[in-house]
Amino acid sequence: MIRSLLRLKAFVLRYRGRLGLGILAFGLARVFEGLVPLFLATGIDRIAAGNTDLVLPICGILLAVVTRYATVTYARYAVRSVGQHVAFDLRQALFSALQQQGSRFFGRYTIGDLMTRAVADISLVQRFIAMGTILLVILIYATLVGFGFMLYLSPSLTLLLLPPLPFVFFYAQWSARQMGVASKAVQDRLSDLGGQVQENLSGIRTIQAMVQEENEIKRFSETNQAYANAFYRQAWINSLMTSWMPSLAAICSITILGYGGNLVLQGELSIGALVAFFMYVNMVVQPFRVAGFIINLFQRAAVASDRLFEVLSLDPEIEDRPSGATPETIRGEIEFRDLSFQYEASREPALADLTLKIRAGESVSIMGRVGAGKTTLLKLLLRLLDPAPGTVFVDGHDVRDYPLAQLRAQIAMVPQDPFLFGEPLGDNLTYDDPGRPLAAIWQAAASADLKDTIEEFPDRMRTLVGERGVTLSGGQKQRATLARGLIRQAPVLVLDDCFSSVDTGTEEHILSELKQLRRGQTTLLVSHRVSTARHSDRIVVLEAGRIVEVGTHDALILNGGLYAELERIQREGAEDADYTLAGAPG
Amino acid sequence: MATPGTSPADAPRNHAMFDAEFSGAALNMQLLRRLLHWLRPYRLTVGISAVLVLLASTLQVLMPVVLSLVVIDHIIRGETDPMAPDLGMIDITESIAATLSIHPLLAACLLYTALQISWAVAGHAHRVTLISSVINGLRDLRLDLFRHLETRPSSFYDRVAVGRVMTRVTNDIEALYELLRGIGTLVGEFVPFFVALTIMLAIDVQLTLILLLVLPVMGSATYYFRRATSLLFRKVRMTLSALNQSMQENLAGLQVVQLSDRQQQNLQRYTQINEENRDNELKSARVETLYGAFTDSMAHVALGVVVWYGGGAVLQEQMSLGGVILFTRFIDMLFHPIVALGEQTNILFRAMASGERIFQALDWDEKIHEPANPAALPPRLRGEVRFQHLDFGYDPGQQVLDDVSFTIEPGEKLAIVGPTGSGKSTLIRLLSRFYDFDDGHIFLDGIDLNHIHSRDLRKRIGVVLQDFHIFSGTIYDNIALGDPAVTREMAEQAARRVNAHGFIMALRDGYDTVLSERGQNLSQGQRQLLAFARVLAADPEILVLDEATASIDTETELLIQDALRKLTAGRTSIIIAHRLQTIQEADRVLVLHHGKVEELGTHEELLEQQGLYYRLHSLQFQEPEKQT
Repeated sequence: MIRSLLRLKAFVLRYRGRLGLGILAFGLARVFEGLVPLFLATGIDRIAAGNTDLVLPICGILLAVVTRYATVTYARYAVRSVGQHVAFDLRQALFSALQQQGSRFFGRYTIGDLMTRAVADISLVQRFIAMGTILLVILIYATLVGFGFMLYLSPSLTLLLLPPLPFVFFYAQWSARQMGVASKAVQDRLSDLGGQVQENLSGIRTIQAMVQEENEIKRFSETNQAYANAFYRQAWINSLMTSWMPSLAAICSITILGYGGNLVLQGELSIGALVAFFMYVNMVVQPFRVAGFIINLFQRAAVASDRLFEVLSLDPEIEDRPSGATPETIRGEIEFRDLSFQYEASREPALADLTLKIRAGESVSIMGRVGAGKTTLLKLLLRLLDPAPGTVFVDGHDVRDYPLAQLRAQIAMVPQDPFLFGEPLGDNLTYDDPGRPLAAIWQAAASADLKDTIEEFPDRMRTLVGERGVTLSGGQKQRATLARGLIRQAPVLVLDDCFSSVDTGTEEHILSELKQLRRGQTTLLVSHRVSTARHSDRIVVLEAGRIVEVGTHDALILNGGLYAELERIQREGAEDADYTLAGAPG
Repeated sequence: MATPGTSPADAPRNHAMFDAEFSGAALNMQLLRRLLHWLRPYRLTVGISAVLVLLASTLQVLMPVVLSLVVIDHIIRGETDPMAPDLGMIDITESIAATLSIHPLLAACLLYTALQISWAVAGHAHRVTLISSVINGLRDLRLDLFRHLETRPSSFYDRVAVGRVMTRVTNDIEALYELLRGIGTLVGEFVPFFVALTIMLAIDVQLTLILLLVLPVMGSATYYFRRATSLLFRKVRMTLSALNQSMQENLAGLQVVQLSDRQQQNLQRYTQINEENRDNELKSARVETLYGAFTDSMAHVALGVVVWYGGGAVLQEQMSLGGVILFTRFIDMLFHPIVALGEQTNILFRAMASGERIFQALDWDEKIHEPANPAALPPRLRGEVRFQHLDFGYDPGQQVLDDVSFTIEPGEKLAIVGPTGSGKSTLIRLLSRFYDFDDGHIFLDGIDLNHIHSRDLRKRIGVVLQDFHIFSGTIYDNIALGDPAVTREMAEQAARRVNAHGFIMALRDGYDTVLSERGQNLSQGQRQLLAFARVLAADPEILVLDEATASIDTETELLIQDALRKLTAGRTSIIIAHRLQTIQEADRVLVLHHGKVEELGTHEELLEQQGLYYRLHSLQFQEPEKQT
């Protein structure tokens, strides 16, 4: 646990001055606080003795209160602000680190997981530094100061108060653990409940169409009851703790009452001191109540710290090491030379000894089944995945020699998944360069057959898309991302199966537009549909990471290979029953 | 005639209202009263809890009385304050001492122990009874809410964000838990406050009143502090959620970010939000720390006041020393409720807003209009569907269907094609009674659809939508859908017929494989096959299918086409078709355009007409004939 927390050292030590001063101030504040019962005792004793001079105790109390207020306020703010600053720095570090990562990393970590690290783990570390430090410091100081004053008043009574304290401590720890288990159960049941509602509501049309409402309500009622049960159990444990913790501490109070009262009767202790003892015991026991909570917080913070540094300490996935010898603007000649690639988790290579040369200005379609390696090939070209040295060339230079930003600026890629940011549509279309004139954006939208759609929105290019804005259909999203690629007018355009949700008529229209627009420029296009691929100068058919056919549409049809087969199936559909059942499971 | 799409009974609804923000600024008594309705079944438990809190509070107050009036005044100083009500504690101590013949001091210790234990038990019993009523009441409320939402029509779900609906059932009800728990905490604080106050007033009215003067100071400090922090907290929440959203979006679109070389720019933006958030956090920390030590400081000042006033009073023999000490012990009980009240206000206000949202949802009575006397359907329909002069629009002035009339013969397979927005989906939504319509008719075997209860209707129409919803549960559960008439054999047989058996058996537990949320462990194609099996097992007279547009690999596609053929055999089927294959196999094709029936006929007939269908068809499937 300690070692995990020590990993935060570099982040915390930046603020060591403030943190140290804060901790020191906490100590001072405790001493001032401890003076209050002492002055109160003096006052009570003077009253008991019939002394009218109460100036000293009253002024003493007031002075102690004021100085304590000032120091403790400073101390708390100092420590809490350190927590905030550390959280700030961690967020910055995490954001920068994540931006450097690529496909391999995101294959291992889901976005949900990373968000948990960014939100929950950083907040835990922040609470550990702020609240954890404060509570621990208070616990230590309170014990020292409280016992110091009590020893001063009556050593024998003080020693008698010691035995119950470990019990208070252990009970606090034990019940905190119980609470932890119960709270986790509540959280789990709540997330079951949330999951069920979410799932249910997103399928509400099917549920209603299938008249499943009653079944679903019954199912929900069970989850709902399970949550209520978990909640009740947690409340029960919590309430027990609220009852028994003060009762354990009351052993001390009863000792003071009996033994201390006896000391007073024998004249060995003043009545004022007896009252002060009650206050000091309270001062010592109070922080003990949260001992379990502190331990729990430290443990969770240790886990959080490990989880954060697991991500923070990873090197960037793709190294940017430009050779300096690459051209500023490329012509668009692409070459894959004996290119092989294998994903970490996979046993089969995704690409094997692939060699292909694409002339500048050529349009090439890549076809093949799911998992044939089409997207992998494109990702290697853009260095979204890193190819081995000497395997992928653009204009005769290894892609690894280009500055990353330049490579990706010269080759515009439209990914398979049409992702749009929760920003105005126009900003999404010109995402790489927000400075483009509006006319250019409209033109790109027109080329992607999106102009009419946008003109129907009241806010046109200012239309906010995404969760908080307009929800676009799958086809509209794909056309928007296509426009985002087209607007760059890059020497090379790479389209990764980005027509799958666009209806065929629109696709046809866009393709003919593209033919005009990209005349003389290199275009790579991945597709499932023969109707899409047939327009290209050449068609490359991949199968299990290898090129099985290359040629024009006509040549491949004559060839009678996989492409011709695909063409036939897509044209005739499932009429050929032999084929239907040949490759089918079951 | 009323506006198409809205029934004459209700005016068009503003669904934006459902997504609107609620401030929850004021204490809404009407809302609290309404909440009480759900607590009513548990009123006996609440009553017991109330008695217990009074008992526990009294016991809590008696303990300092034993210390000050019994031990210090009576045993040590041998005097009694005639004004101070010891509530019989002295007599009890003395009788314990006499009965057990022990020193009164020891007897006082025994009494103190007994009081402590009784307090612990009574307090626990009070809290547990209170919380159990709250838990049960809110459980009922949540179920009622879910039931209500579950039966809202499509017209509702088409226009409000599912996330907003979901948070009503989850977060908003949670906020009510907090509210009722908070109220419980306040009861546990304020009842001892009043018991202590009664005793203090009995001992010395003047000192009590002086001490009470501190309350307004603390109260207003607390009030201003809460007001300042609630504003700051809101800012912190906003910047924090902006921060998370920025990170989330950047991660989700990281590939685009990297391809567009936006890393630096996005980091700058993030830094800006991060700084703003930190500054807000620091501001609220400053306010919080200023207030944090304030209340205990006031309690300490009050101690000074007690010494100052009590000193004089004791000397003038108006008060006993024990009385003064009792006051010092009561100070916490006096001030703590104010602090607790401050702590609970934010929760209280937040819960008010949640309560408003919950009741808004419960009051949202949008529904499909069901016939007063639903027509009884024969055991088996022939399956003739007739549309007659049907007009429809979701919003006034926007016509989606325009005078649609056609008839589907029993057992016929009809493909509906048309450009996006031509009204295809609307047509099947109306047929499944997801929306009310009143301009025109749909007849099912000659029975007006508006005379059939939607529940009866949907049992006869198997609907497969684009997003095949997968229920959590096993594959078998997903096929049978809780219908006891569907045996395992029948489910398996259905799966076999629609080519789903193969992939199901390839799963680890076969038909007992538990499917995760939204069927993530199945591919798109597999989910579609499963949806087919579901329909086949239910064996409805009419099939309505919205064919998936997404591209599926060619092999699965063949399986789906084959399954579809079996599914539609001899069954009246209406298919929004996207695949040429599907269209060619249909008996007739209906071409919709701008909500109108543009063409209707067989594939060949329509091709010969060289109309819209011909154009759509040639666009979709250019030239290949030439190749073969």
